[in-house]
Amino acid sequence: MEDTNDDLAGLMRQAQAGDQRAYAELLRETARLLRPFLSRRLSADGEVDDLLQEILISIHKARHTYDGRRPYKPWAYAIAKFRLQDHLRMHYADRLRQAEDIAELENILHENVTETAIDYESISGEIEKLPEKQSTILRLMHQQGYTAKETAQKLGMNESAVKVAAHRAYKTLRQKLERR
Amino acid sequence: MRDLEQLVNELSGEAAPTRPAPHPYLLGLQWTLMAAAYLAVALAFSGLRPDLSQALQQPGYVAELLTLLLLFAASTTSAALLAFPDLHQKRLLAYAPVGAFALLALTLLAGSFADTAPLPEHSIECTIDISLVSLLPAVAIFLLMRGYASTHPRWAGSVALLAAFSTGALWLRLYETNDSVVHVVLWHYLPMLLAGFIGWMLGRRLLKW
Repeated sequence: MEDTNDDLAGLMRQAQAGDQRAYAELLRETARLLRPFLSRRLSADGEVDDLLQEILISIHKARHTYDGRRPYKPWAYAIAKFRLQDHLRMHYADRLRQAEDIAELENILHENVTETAIDYESISGEIEKLPEKQSTILRLMHQQGYTAKETAQKLGMNESAVKVAAHRAYKTLRQKLERR
Repeated sequence: MRDLEQLVNELSGEAAPTRPAPHPYLLGLQWTLMAAAYLAVALAFSGLRPDLSQALQQPGYVAELLTLLLLFAASTTSAALLAFPDLHQKRLLAYAPVGAFALLALTLLAGSFADTAPLPEHSIECTIDISLVSLLPAVAIFLLMRGYASTHPRWAGSVALLAAFSTGALWLRLYETNDSVVHVVLWHYLPMLLAGFIGWMLGRRLLKW
């Protein structure tokens, strides 16, 4: 443990002096070190990879704050934990927003259904009028029951991009249905 | 996102020699000296309270000034520690402003038993003056902290504003001819807590990296 710490600290000192080979080695070792830490806390492998890359970029940005006389691991873990917390915060905020979007949409659908002439066909019609990508995402997620992650895999997109597109689609749909 | 190996190659390709940041204690000392210089300039413009030599004979006033100085030094040092990702593994010291503020509160409480000074006519003007004097140090400390990598941005923001406001509070205690404990608690020190809360809110936005 102490040896690894010393090795990594040594690599970081060399990296701070401009040794690119030492720096590349340090980043690889850091990724190896942090992967199990992130895997225990995140469910999807894709998420772990994305976050790991974000952490390496953060380490790169903050490398001037590392004091070569101190152990490397606590410094790197502090950055990893910070980015992990950020990631989880955004992840849950995203899910909450999505849940709110669905709940709002459901409320609109349940309100005076007979009077507002909103029926399944008209909603499907509105979904079809959305930009192609948005309508495909909504059909997959809410008619065929795929999750955002599965939809992303099916469409070859990033999960966050699917969520953003779905969020925009809900907003457009809500505006259209409220106008009726 | 990019492949991990590709990212490693990109980042290592950008690795020019980097000058490591100074030790947080040294950084804290630099910030303290900068704030002290600003305080000296502010006092040179406003002047010292005319009865300062008499006031310095009162143990209550001296104790208050000393604890305020302690809060000032503790919060600048803490801000410097909080600018580093792992707080230089001196987490306890980063919480020193809480202890210093508690000590200041105890000093004021002790002073309140012997408080015979009349309440001045003004009130919120003191808070406004402290805020105005603290504005420049607040901007400066946030700008300086943005050059580092805080992993506790809320706490760092709170401490940064506390450091700036303790500079303003020191200025007013050395300038204003007033020793009413009730007044200084209400209009000098309680607003500092509010400043700490505002810093807490601002930290996440301003210290993002």
